[in-house]
Amino acid sequence: MLLAVVQTWREGNQPTDASLMERIVQRDAAALETLYDRYARPVYSLVLRISQQPASAEEIVQDVFMQLWRNAKHYQATRGPLEPWLFTVARNRALDFLRLKREKQRRREDSVDFDLRPSAVVQPDPEGAMDQSRRAQKVRTLMNSLPEPQRRAIELAFFEGMTHSEISTAIGEPLGTVKSWIRGGLLRLRESLEEAGS
Amino acid sequence: MDCEQLAPLYEEYALGVLEAEERAEVEAHLARHCAQCTPGIEKARWVVAQLAHVSPEAQPPESLKGKILDAAKASAKVSEFSKPSPPSRAVFPIWAWAAAAALALLTGYSIRQMGNQSTQLAALRQQMRIAMLQNKALQDQLEVGRQIAYVMTSPESMPLKLMPKDKNMPMVHAYLHPHMGVAITAEQMPSMPAARTLQLWFVPKTGKPMSIAIFHPDTQGQIAVIAPVNMPRNEIAALAVTEEPAGGSPQPTSNPAWMAQVN
Repeated sequence: MLLAVVQTWREGNQPTDASLMERIVQRDAAALETLYDRYARPVYSLVLRISQQPASAEEIVQDVFMQLWRNAKHYQATRGPLEPWLFTVARNRALDFLRLKREKQRRREDSVDFDLRPSAVVQPDPEGAMDQSRRAQKVRTLMNSLPEPQRRAIELAFFEGMTHSEISTAIGEPLGTVKSWIRGGLLRLRESLEEAGS
Repeated sequence: MDCEQLAPLYEEYALGVLEAEERAEVEAHLARHCAQCTPGIEKARWVVAQLAHVSPEAQPPESLKGKILDAAKASAKVSEFSKPSPPSRAVFPIWAWAAAAALALLTGYSIRQMGNQSTQLAALRQQMRIAMLQNKALQDQLEVGRQIAYVMTSPESMPLKLMPKDKNMPMVHAYLHPHMGVAITAEQMPSMPAARTLQLWFVPKTGKPMSIAIFHPDTQGQIAVIAPVNMPRNEIAALAVTEEPAGGSPQPTSNPAWMAQVN
């Protein structure tokens, strides 16, 4: 039910993701531009949060949208909405970049601090993305309501690509506690999103 | 692991937080196309993807949209022009310049005929820009081809044959060069859905596999990839190619479809 709700959320005056993907198959660059306008900001924000490097984030985002352009003919709207696919591809690419960077650092025994901030903080788009914005707000509110260690554990998994045991080591908490925090947090996230979609 | 045991793990699997053994159990269950768990995992992927919204909002650079759209338009033009009979790589740049020259002549003629010089000049500039982008894309392609050819023929390279798990699949060739990286070539590969990708891994003698490259066979079923290597040759135990979800995986989620031991 949740997926069905999300699949139809664009219906109205704006073209749906599925109709834009059909136009991209016909090599309509204007459709790609519309999807870029719709998703570039959250995709870039995610990639920058993981990679911490604006230049690399730009390359990864370009790669993600070019993959969308090249492989649009394989997109099946019935299998789910486009947004999570974009987020998942972007996250995996950015985590790959992060791991390579860490591996190089480890080998060089280098301790360069890559703690760069986002290039610009922006205001939410006032039009055209109300559902996306509402969902984003829901997720942020939920995450902010979690105790700090629990939120940290989930963020280490999502943004750093760590496993249960790696998180346990990183934050110095027992493995069972970490598992319980992550499972509980994800359950609350799912319930919160289902509530928003119903 | 049955459906009841797997259900509480949907989100953790989608998050990628499970340890290798547990993840392998989930993969084994999903490989049976479980009608209950497959949609459950898809929904979990959607839920987990929403965590992207926790990222601090940042504005992509203004120039990025233009770069993506230019690259998309250029790739569309290259595909269109190369449809009837794909020319060899070596003649691409000459052809592209010839096309640009022809377009320039045609546009010049139009200018004289229509007397609308400014509009036509803008069109000419746009066409020249597209031709130059095509040329650049083809030059890049040619350069990759040159590098692969160099690595394949270098006496310093170690040739490896990655044997397929499925004997009906073609063999994948790898050439490991101490400085240039690894070149991967294959032919007659089956096409892949957009939701899946091939991923090359270096398996070290100790530690976890390292992702080296993510790639798809082209429309002719060919693979020609070169990627840098950040692992000394004497630390590599094996090369493996797995099939992964689009965008690749942090660690292999399936058994190798192709593999070669490195002696």
